[in-house]
Amino acid sequence: MSKRISLKEFLFILPILVIISIFSIWPIVDSIKYTVFDYRLNDQQNSKMFLDSSFNTSGFNENAKYIAYYLKKDMAFIEAGDQKQEFERIMGYVSEMAASYSEQNQNIKLSGSEAKKIETFMAEVRADVTKLYEANRDVELGNRENIQLVMDDLDKSIIGSNFIGFTAYKQVLKDLRFWSALKNTVLFTSVSVFIEFMLGLALAMIMNKAMKGIGIIRTISLIPWAIPTAVSALMWSYMYDGGSGIIAKLFADIGLVQSAEQLLLTSGGAMVCAIIADVWKTTPYMALLILGGLQTIDGGLYESSQIDGAGKIRTFLSITMPLLKPAILVALLFRTLDAFRVYDLIAVLTGGGPGGSTETLSIYAYKIMFGQTNFGYGSVVVVMMFICVAAIATLFVKVLGTDLMSKS
Amino acid sequence: MRKWLSILAVAAMTIASVGCAGNAAQKPAAEVKAEAPAAEAPKEESVPTEKIKIKFAVQADSTPALETLISSFNSAQNEYEAEIVEFTNDSGQMHDQLLTSLSSGSDEYDVMSLDVVWAGEFAAAGYIEALDMLMDEAGFNETDFNAGSMASGKYQGKQYTLPYFPDLGLLYFRTDIVSEEDAKKLESGDYTYDDFYEMAEKYSGQGGTETGYVFQSKQYEGLTCNASEFTNSYTNLKSGLETMKKFVESKAVPADILNYDEGATDTSFTQGKSVFSRNWPYQYGLIKGETSKVKPDQISIAPLPTGNVVGGWLLSMNKNSKSPEGAWAFMSFVAGQEGQKINSTQGGYLPGFNALLNDEEIKKANELLNFPGFQKALQSTISRPVSAEYAKVSDTVQVNVHKYLSGSQDIDTTVKTLEEALKQ
Repeated sequence: MSKRISLKEFLFILPILVIISIFSIWPIVDSIKYTVFDYRLNDQQNSKMFLDSSFNTSGFNENAKYIAYYLKKDMAFIEAGDQKQEFERIMGYVSEMAASYSEQNQNIKLSGSEAKKIETFMAEVRADVTKLYEANRDVELGNRENIQLVMDDLDKSIIGSNFIGFTAYKQVLKDLRFWSALKNTVLFTSVSVFIEFMLGLALAMIMNKAMKGIGIIRTISLIPWAIPTAVSALMWSYMYDGGSGIIAKLFADIGLVQSAEQLLLTSGGAMVCAIIADVWKTTPYMALLILGGLQTIDGGLYESSQIDGAGKIRTFLSITMPLLKPAILVALLFRTLDAFRVYDLIAVLTGGGPGGSTETLSIYAYKIMFGQTNFGYGSVVVVMMFICVAAIATLFVKVLGTDLMSKS
Repeated sequence: MRKWLSILAVAAMTIASVGCAGNAAQKPAAEVKAEAPAAEAPKEESVPTEKIKIKFAVQADSTPALETLISSFNSAQNEYEAEIVEFTNDSGQMHDQLLTSLSSGSDEYDVMSLDVVWAGEFAAAGYIEALDMLMDEAGFNETDFNAGSMASGKYQGKQYTLPYFPDLGLLYFRTDIVSEEDAKKLESGDYTYDDFYEMAEKYSGQGGTETGYVFQSKQYEGLTCNASEFTNSYTNLKSGLETMKKFVESKAVPADILNYDEGATDTSFTQGKSVFSRNWPYQYGLIKGETSKVKPDQISIAPLPTGNVVGGWLLSMNKNSKSPEGAWAFMSFVAGQEGQKINSTQGGYLPGFNALLNDEEIKKANELLNFPGFQKALQSTISRPVSAEYAKVSDTVQVNVHKYLSGSQDIDTTVKTLEEALKQ
């Protein structure tokens, strides 16, 4: 069993513990914290994480001033004296209320009585203004709609807590776009990793043969993997292009697609394109990992199996495969997790289109977080992705890695 | 175990005490900072040479217009000094950078130029100042400015922006193919999409062209613009989208129209392959270029039947600006007659100030303004949806309209989804 560590030993590992907690644990805890808030930058009420309710003084002041301002503008069109008086009366108390919060320029906590006062004020203004505009419904008033919208905005100056608990998780389970992104991701991952594995294994077997010039072959086969993904994706997008792409034309000529333009336009076509590009790029990486495994197998075993009279297939199944298992586990695990997080390839090639049919979880999360600045919900998607990745990793280790783990 | 706990406790205490010390040390500094401007303020008033700096966040301008704007503002008065804070030409990056700065309550920028589609988001977030009262004081009317640009900056009953320079969707057509009578009809703007459909079918293939009409319906922002035009800013969703689909399925448009963006559109039109095209003003520059097979005298410009979507940039004011008066002074100068004239004559931008549309000098700098159809188009501008979550709304529009146009979703589902998205 593990030994209890002494103080001196602990002091040695303390720096790394601190570094891990700052750079790994804290961000993870923080992003999980985001998921339980309705945290969005594009909304004053949700732009921070509020646990209690508060009062937005500048918003209140601005909107109250606007109500008075619109009333004043519209009053010019009113003829009746009593109506004019009513306009003045409302304007008077609204301006007064606006003035009492003009000095502060931030969110403050309200005492119970003050909160009540403001709420009564809001209700009173709404009732008075609605009644007033109703009474003058025949007069053409330019700000009839504006003033309603401003009153809606005024109500928003009391900011409730945006702690929402697990509501966002419930929402994500009902979110069709999330499920379609998950489906696309799983499809992309399973198909591309399967093909990569098959081709990678074959490639590794070839590269493992001792023959002349094998060094050059190994080097050349690694080139696709050495090209930055964004560059190779762009390269493929030229080849898939409906107007001038060679692959698009080839596919159209042999009848795989109706016309060259259709290739990236149909959901199936776009997915196939993404998978082909990914397979082209990462098969060498898969082959490299498997080759590493192949080289650790003792040549003596092959000799003995030959003496025992085993054929090629028997040798492969009984010697190569079992001994290759740890390498395969590592290769599949790496590639599956990599493919599950795919972002750059799809972003450059299709951007998630057509109609969201190649949108993967990473793309979706990116769009929510940075396109819509909705950090709360974006984090939920990311946490869901984290759960999937954890599940995949566990599954692999359970199914493939039993011997591997027990050895240690 | 005890040992462990005691170590942890000591560590925690050390961190806590360091933290406290840090706070204690910072406080006086903050107080000093707060007092400093108060002490200096009277000085500034008595010494007019100390100008207040107004920082203008804007994308790099390849024309001399921006420099001239700044220098003429600075020489026109001696209270403020405007300064450029230059951003990259990557709009997405500028958007994120501005948002990050504003969300921290920074007064780093006083006046900001915003892409037309950001205004709703920035206004909803409470980062920019509402302008109606200031406009009133300055004697500006809403109608003085380009309608579509103003609509883009109107959120929840308040006006948050003024136009910096507008851009708009236009209908380009070949005068050597289209009959004079039809050309007149197009230029007057007095026609419907159905009329136009007939024309597209009629002229398709004539005069060496391969197709009638090209526009943008790839799944990207351009699709939102085109859908806005077909549906008149989403007021008649159903019939508008049906018309759009009628075009997409017509023989008078290319078979891969669903993959057309601006680039594909201008290539088709400048290479003489299409009779009509919907594109932004930049296409005229290409037509004037040497590589274009179609020459300027072969084309004319018309407004689109139900309004032309605006693009371009707006001016807005940081709510946390240290000098709102200075920010407004600069902003109203740039958006007003004088500033817009500089921008148009020196930079070739379109004026957002309507009174300048018939200014001879500006017409000289902007050939487009000499087209009667272009003038008409500038007067019938509309905006894309103004929303606090524009990116999300536009995304929904793109996905659903593209699905509908490509035939994998019916009209009722599409309309329902879009109506819900547009309410946000």
